[in-house]
Amino acid sequence: MKLHRRMLLRGLFQGSAVAMALPLLDCFLDGNGTALADGRPIPTRFGTFFWGCGLTKQLFLPKSTGANYEDMPQLAALKPYKAKLNLLSGYRAYVDSRANFQHWSGNAAIATGIAPNGDGQFDGPTIDQIIAGSIGKGSRFRSIEIACSGNKRESYSSATGGANVNPPEVSPTGLYTRLFGAGFQDGKGDFKPDPNILLQQSVLSVVAGDRERLMANAGAADKARLDQYFSSVRELENTMAVELQKPELIADVTIPGMPEEMTVNKSVPVLLKTVPVFSKLLAIGLATNQTRIFNMALTEPANTMFMPGDSHVFHQATHEEPIDPALGYQPATSQFSTHSMECFAEVVAALDAIREGDGTLLDHSLMLAYTDTSNAKLHAIDGIPMFLAGTANGKVKTGMHIAGNSETVSRVGLTVQQAMGLTVDHWGAESNLTNKPIGELLA
Amino acid sequence: MKPIASLFALVLLTASTAAAVAADAAPVARLASMRRLTESEYRNSIADIFGPAITVQGRFEPDRRIGGLLSASSAILSISPAGFQAYAQMADGIAGQVTDAKHRAALVACKPADVKAADDACTGQVVAQYGMLLFRRPLTAEESAARIKLAHDIAGKTGDFYAGLRYGLASLMAAPDFLFRTEYAVLDADGKSWTLDAYSRASRLSFLLWDSTPDAALLKAAVDGDLSKPDGVARETGRLMASSRLQAGMRAFYADFLELDTQVTKDPAFYPKYSEAVASSAREETLHSMLDLTLTRQDDLRDLLTTRKTYLNRTLASVYGVPYNFDSEWVPYEFAPETGRSGIITQVTFLSLFSHPNRSSPTKRGVALMDIFLCQPTPQPPANVDFSIVNDISNPSLKTVRQRLLAHATNPTCAACHTRSDPIGLALENFDSIGQYRTSENGDPIDASSSLQGKSFTGAIGLGQVLHDNPNFPACFARKLFAYGTGGNANLVTPPIYRSFVTAFSDSGYRVPALIKALTVNPQFFSAPPPPAIAAKTALNEVTK
Repeated sequence: MKLHRRMLLRGLFQGSAVAMALPLLDCFLDGNGTALADGRPIPTRFGTFFWGCGLTKQLFLPKSTGANYEDMPQLAALKPYKAKLNLLSGYRAYVDSRANFQHWSGNAAIATGIAPNGDGQFDGPTIDQIIAGSIGKGSRFRSIEIACSGNKRESYSSATGGANVNPPEVSPTGLYTRLFGAGFQDGKGDFKPDPNILLQQSVLSVVAGDRERLMANAGAADKARLDQYFSSVRELENTMAVELQKPELIADVTIPGMPEEMTVNKSVPVLLKTVPVFSKLLAIGLATNQTRIFNMALTEPANTMFMPGDSHVFHQATHEEPIDPALGYQPATSQFSTHSMECFAEVVAALDAIREGDGTLLDHSLMLAYTDTSNAKLHAIDGIPMFLAGTANGKVKTGMHIAGNSETVSRVGLTVQQAMGLTVDHWGAESNLTNKPIGELLA
Repeated sequence: MKPIASLFALVLLTASTAAAVAADAAPVARLASMRRLTESEYRNSIADIFGPAITVQGRFEPDRRIGGLLSASSAILSISPAGFQAYAQMADGIAGQVTDAKHRAALVACKPADVKAADDACTGQVVAQYGMLLFRRPLTAEESAARIKLAHDIAGKTGDFYAGLRYGLASLMAAPDFLFRTEYAVLDADGKSWTLDAYSRASRLSFLLWDSTPDAALLKAAVDGDLSKPDGVARETGRLMASSRLQAGMRAFYADFLELDTQVTKDPAFYPKYSEAVASSAREETLHSMLDLTLTRQDDLRDLLTTRKTYLNRTLASVYGVPYNFDSEWVPYEFAPETGRSGIITQVTFLSLFSHPNRSSPTKRGVALMDIFLCQPTPQPPANVDFSIVNDISNPSLKTVRQRLLAHATNPTCAACHTRSDPIGLALENFDSIGQYRTSENGDPIDASSSLQGKSFTGAIGLGQVLHDNPNFPACFARKLFAYGTGGNANLVTPPIYRSFVTAFSDSGYRVPALIKALTVNPQFFSAPPPPAIAAKTALNEVTK
């Protein structure tokens, strides 16, 4: 049966679990489907997916490495995409002389290449923002953040480091409004730039004119904050410049209507309902070039997702559930890691469901999925599991399990940056400093 | 505050003295701190400046708790790209409403000679009025000229005076000087120490006491130099405190102090009664009863932890298990002694915020009690935490949370902290995860006996009395109020800073209005750190001595 793509997209919020199809129209591609008709390549997108509280080693980590590694129970939901992603295990976040800030040092080191000096802070920009600085310019939004469980403090993306994070969307309706509300252009018919944008641009140039006076008068810390503020002004100027141009990618998308208001919290059944909706909206946003960078946080690092009727939340369970002597792990706790992977699989599925040229949106993306600990019970930051999904437009080989042998987590970040086309030969600080990307992965 | 009346007052004000003052003050002032407006500060400011008919729709950047207060993060956080986009949209939306056909007659104080063309004089007047209210100081000549030129150009392009004015006003609300409370410091009369200038003082007072921007009279006091003198500060403080808007100011502080922003989800399988309606009613109960005790009745602050008086609505009555035979929405209510309730620590807010979604947590409650009421934060637990032994509910001796926790506290590493936090949390075990009274858990009776720093007591009533009698509670409250007002970290408010106003608080019998007065006349409240270069030099001198 041949489904009409508009019907499919319309079906997104009326029914459930429908495949989505092809925003990037073939007529805008070259004959091979590997580039836009004018010869420019299909853009590569980058995203992160964060979940809290790690894995259950016995159920998660394959014994074999390389291709064709054995299937593991906690990865069952990802099995359909096994060929399109890599599992990375055994990399270590080094804290050197700093404290291991529990449920923070590990993920902060992965995101910045630097073990943080304080709880809840990043000691540099996060990797998504480094990449956004390179490829974020051509889209409306530099990046889009989503907190799947509805808490606006759960964002792990920072342009400057410190305590500043990019505020996330906390509901499907909020995400919808951001992507497809005011200012969205579908590029169909005659393109007419919104005259209001020109006027708003002139407002921004007046605001930017305050820069020198304030900077001259401020101390170092406030200078940095003003610098961030004026960078944000420039970002909006860029967004407006993009909105004044005819959209570069013309997608045959009937943008779906506003999704219904949904309950958003950390109950597992609720997350399993909301994450697919967030993911599908995000995927359409990526396919229509609203952004090229995204960050999804399933939960906070000390993950408090819960099953209705069970008196433990995930994080609490990691500390309180006895290890089953026969199994060697915490059986109820392990369920939460499995559910986290089911949610991750929803994001991968949403990206892979959109066809673009000769492949899918997933193929033209690179997504880093990571967590804060390996064994959450011990707050262990050696062997924190990560995934790389998608090939970044053919720059990354997939289908493998790579063992890190206690080398620094920054090797992953360096590999990601090189795959995304950044000219960088080293990354990280102190023991997390590396100049070795993961060679097996780079095509 | 009536926005229009204040505007006309400002027309006179700005025309006469403000420009001269600004020119005078600008060269010597130093940007000492910047505090991002909180959501309520932003909303209240817009409502006060433009009136309640103007709607504010948008999303605000998240803040984070430092030293027990969100307000401290306003002094270190900036504005992200997505955050700025939201602020710019709000600015545009507000300016659009102010200048639209519906509101312009009331809100734009002059009429252009020709609505189809620029009118720099009228624009200049409106920009000066609103600029002073939005920036909380007079605009500089450059700031004003840039807005007038913007409005002029846009009016010319669009053939619409009000379109020009709209974008001129929007540029004020997207500016850092509005979105941040910029605080400027000047050398004090002694020529050595630094202190806030008059406008920054006006803002500190107004945001502390009203959770909003300074009104026209307060700005006039700044222009006239009154706020540079202790008696002028005392007079203005008295005026602001006499207003019913003090309730709004303290409401914002109490919400921050009690961490009422904490996200709370309850598991409906355990607590089907709990809902967003319960959560918001409970927050209102706490704020209402706290404002009533501290401001309306002006009782001893410490009674907050022992009183059985509160305010209820129908939703809460069902959680508390009391009959609700009243017609009005909220009624004062006094719990019977046998209910075991003891002030705000036994209200639904505190008990539910510091619990798990599906069961109570003496540890969370104990940590929160120590941190919120005594300013004694608990360090992080060690990395290798193993509670599994205490979770073995098949062990017949470990049926209740108390038994399991105490077993765990035999581990010396854990004991260091848990012997501080758990006992006082255990005193609240008669209340479940949403604050309902109970007498048993898994069939065993609850033992709510406890001790704190050598004092033994039982249950919430005993705990409330012990905290009531602990001098750290009012001192902690005062330190946090000072930190809240100055944008600092409460943990860094040391005895030399707080001694005098804590003494005054104690002498008053712990009346909050007395504390506020003592705090605002304390020179520390307006002091600013020396510039970094001078601070470094001073430190070097200390070393070489």
